[in-house]
Amino acid sequence: MNKEFKVLSRPYMVWLSVLVFIPILAMLVISFSNLNSSVSMSELVLSVSHFNLLWESSTLIAFRNSILFATITTFISFVLGYFIAYEIKLSKFKNKFILLTFVILPMWSNLILRTESLANIMSENNILKSIIGFNIFGNISGTWIAVLFGLVFTYMPFMILSVYTALEKIDFALEEAALDLGLRPIKKFWKVVFPLSFKGVVTGSIMVFLPTLAGFAIPKILSRGQIVFIGNIIEQKFIYTNYNHGALLAVVILIFILGSILLLTKFDKEGETLL
Amino acid sequence: MEKEHASIQDYGYRDFSTLNRIYQVFKKVLIVLIVLGLYISIIVIAIQSLNESRNLSDFTRLSFQWYGNILQEEELMQAIRNTFLVSSIATVLATFLGTFFAIGLYALSKKVRVFWMLLNNVPILNADIVTGFSLMLMFRLLMVIFPNIFGLFTLVMAHLFFTIPYVILSVMPKLKETDPNLMDAAMDLGVRPYKALVKVVIPAIKAGIFSGMLLALTMSIDDFAISYFNTGAGFDNLSIWIYAVIGRRNLTPSVYAFSTLLTIFTLFGLLIYQFLQRQKKGRKNEKNNFNDIRS
Repeated sequence: MNKEFKVLSRPYMVWLSVLVFIPILAMLVISFSNLNSSVSMSELVLSVSHFNLLWESSTLIAFRNSILFATITTFISFVLGYFIAYEIKLSKFKNKFILLTFVILPMWSNLILRTESLANIMSENNILKSIIGFNIFGNISGTWIAVLFGLVFTYMPFMILSVYTALEKIDFALEEAALDLGLRPIKKFWKVVFPLSFKGVVTGSIMVFLPTLAGFAIPKILSRGQIVFIGNIIEQKFIYTNYNHGALLAVVILIFILGSILLLTKFDKEGETLL
Repeated sequence: MEKEHASIQDYGYRDFSTLNRIYQVFKKVLIVLIVLGLYISIIVIAIQSLNESRNLSDFTRLSFQWYGNILQEEELMQAIRNTFLVSSIATVLATFLGTFFAIGLYALSKKVRVFWMLLNNVPILNADIVTGFSLMLMFRLLMVIFPNIFGLFTLVMAHLFFTIPYVILSVMPKLKETDPNLMDAAMDLGVRPYKALVKVVIPAIKAGIFSGMLLALTMSIDDFAISYFNTGAGFDNLSIWIYAVIGRRNLTPSVYAFSTLLTIFTLFGLLIYQFLQRQKKGRKNEKNNFNDIRS
């Protein structure tokens, strides 16, 4: 490509630097400040007196919930998502694109609305019960199972897409070679296919783990406020304009994210499996 | 009793056919369950949109009244208009800018490009809540100078921030695929670089631009968390409005009707797009078709 076009990237470098670093910088500064509902911008001073927020039991429980649910969701999505991605790859159906479209179609309708309708049918008296006569979910409204179900089936498509992208790139000749050399299909899968698709698993896991860890709408709606994630606390701090508290907790989440991005770049330099 | 011939089992063959049959059944059941899990919410939304009663726990009678009612729901229509306004501005700008930014980034040396592509991933990978909260804090600091900044402007800025990276990620692989000699040939024939860019490079990467645009639109239209923190002055998009209303437990069934219509349109849109692609490409295999929209 013509070197002259380098100029075109300059505005984006400025844009990215400004919008990636300045908000995070602002967030860092505010997390070390006294900016809350009773303090105006002109009285801003540095303060760490609110740091005890991090050791309050409600915060610790919220962190535990977030991490626990994110881990379990990622694992279940990995198992089920890998299975679906592999079946799509194996399927004799000519047009794989249509299959993938059907997997991601639900993602095109509004997330909040989907979650709310899930919450509706998880309650004791619901519209499905009035049609088919029994409760398919039992009465799990407000429980951890409800939240887990919502999280898994909301974010699993990301896993399926990432894994499928990786699976699709595997040269069939390698699989044939493995079979020719006497491996059984299951062994072929573990020794050849799975390691080669691992990059997609990492990307998919991160794309499921992070939104689950930092989400607040799904747990709030499906647990009916019973199970508090760290995002719910940040949301509360935002509503009551306690910005220093919110910023502090967001910084902690950011540390998790930076860790994940570093992990991802170890496996995938230019983020090619991201889409 | 002595065996006359060694059976194939003695040579290490094991019969997995029963196990395999069980697995085949298990597999089918699992697939059906997973697909149901993915679609149950959509199905329920559709059922709720067809219910005559507003009561969500009782299906009284089949009725299409909520579909006709969409236009009469003033609050819902306002939220829909806001959503489309923000998303269309953001998508058009992101597609246009993102394409040129991607070309600019591609012209950089590999080492520099890897760094900027890494930074480009930050808005995608960063959790919505952190992006939303930190942008909100920045805009709040700007409020000292511009008191009425929150609303359409902050929302469009926030949406551009996370949609441009998707366009760049879609365009970049197409740029890598294009023949580097294409540009040189155009310039040898006396075309100026920027004209060659528009006449030669852009047409070569237009599939990537199109899929980037679709991706940007999808992300923008469905966004909740980032918009939630960066809106203001009552400028609610659909997600924020629904989130606020379900707290009050009086969501109009017209929302379900609207969502169901949107799902049906999306499905048909995708199928038609796919059909047109097939017609155009003819012999190209489906792998390439898939890549066109997705990568």
